[in-house]
Amino acid sequence: MSKKYTYYPGCSSEGSGSHLDISLRAIAPKLGVELEDLNDWNCCGASVTHVEAGALPTAALSARNLANAQKQGNAEVVTSCAACYLKTHQTNEKVRDKPGFKDKINEALGAAGMSYDGELHVRHACEVIVNDVGLDKVREQVTKPLTGLKVAPYVGCQTVRPFAGTDRGGEYDTYDDPEFLDDFIEACGAEAVEYDAKTACCGGAVSLMSPDKTLGLMKKILDEAKEKQADVIATPCPLCQQNVEMYQAQVNEKFGTDHNIPVVFYSQLMAVAFGMDPDKDGCLDRNTISADVVKQKAGG
Amino acid sequence: MTAPLPESNGKKYDLGFARWVYENVDGGDKLSMCMQCGACSGSCPIGTEMDHGPRKLFMMIRAGMKEDVLKSNTMFNCTSCYNCVVRCPRKVPVTYILQDLGRVAQRLGYAEAKETDNARFAKAFFWSTRKFGRTDERLFSAKYYLSFGVGEAIKMAKANMPVARSLMKAKRMHLGMPHKIKGVKELNAILDKAEEIEKREQGV
Repeated sequence: MSKKYTYYPGCSSEGSGSHLDISLRAIAPKLGVELEDLNDWNCCGASVTHVEAGALPTAALSARNLANAQKQGNAEVVTSCAACYLKTHQTNEKVRDKPGFKDKINEALGAAGMSYDGELHVRHACEVIVNDVGLDKVREQVTKPLTGLKVAPYVGCQTVRPFAGTDRGGEYDTYDDPEFLDDFIEACGAEAVEYDAKTACCGGAVSLMSPDKTLGLMKKILDEAKEKQADVIATPCPLCQQNVEMYQAQVNEKFGTDHNIPVVFYSQLMAVAFGMDPDKDGCLDRNTISADVVKQKAGG
Repeated sequence: MTAPLPESNGKKYDLGFARWVYENVDGGDKLSMCMQCGACSGSCPIGTEMDHGPRKLFMMIRAGMKEDVLKSNTMFNCTSCYNCVVRCPRKVPVTYILQDLGRVAQRLGYAEAKETDNARFAKAFFWSTRKFGRTDERLFSAKYYLSFGVGEAIKMAKANMPVARSLMKAKRMHLGMPHKIKGVKELNAILDKAEEIEKREQGV
């Protein structure tokens, strides 16, 4: 039995984070999750547009997506991107709870003959796996356990902050020490190392605009993974994945370190552990630092 | 709401500014709850890059130090990690306040604000949002680099070449025409209206 969700892939799915999108779409049917693409989705503004556009126009970006999702009919919108989750959830919550906000946002949407009533639920793909799919179902799908693979569970920020609670007020995880990623890793037969940098910040968009300011933040994340002898770092966030992977050379140059550790998505680990094609489905060929160690451990 | 930002007329401490922030900045209504404990500044991953941590900046707002607040780089160094938001014992939405204050400083034309990397980056990013409805990672990056002038842009692009090449090789850079949504016109009508409402409400 499967459940249908409206899926909001987000802009990174068309570029730097394509390996998250492809691997998630690959594992979803195995988990009983049917993803129906959000019609004509637009950018959420991420943690960027507010400085230029302001809070309300930034919220209006999410509101258009929510209005389109409402027309589409599924009760739940799911996204795999941390920023898309934060912005969409935030706008949804404001429409529902902030006095006067719904009227303002509908006045803006009205300029295109659209409206949104605030009734949808916005969810993160990881939260759907935790609460709707369940870890047992993940374990059942594993045919090639990633035995002996040591993984640093790097959750990052916006997957759990500030919305670690579901928008129904239920349980998802905690802000500072979330455990869902450890659980995913272990369900795949790999070992999740103790990792204090779990929710440390990679610098987010500041790393893209001024990496000099944030290389030290990424160093901390990499140093601990190395100290804990992790083979790979796993993350749910497309920006964390990109930053921590692509800035390793610059971290090494600045601090004299020798980091060269692959950074993968949890969904890539699952695709490989589920016995799917490690490149076509698991997208391991889309990592710029070779993540073939995942392939080598699979089924071993 | 809807009060225009009052003129300070050279006053270093202008309580009219404090009141305006409480009433008009996103999350500002919670600012008076701040008890100056410093959990925000202590939790900030990038506080060392800020000329004032959030705790101090909030005290400066309360004291009405309009010029010092709006010339501060604090808002533009925030990484939006939301550590401060979830840790604040008084539930002050620190990140939201900083984000919106950054826009206010920019809109009021403070050079200190407009020339930050963050303001340039946001401008390039939002250009892509309006033009295509989506973020084109290549084009907005190029636009961001160009905001520093052609010479600097070439230097930045060159420095970024190894990363760009590896992303291209890994099929993680979109090549070809930008992805464009069908409803670009509709999206822009919504954004224009939202900007008009924000201006009406906030006065800037």
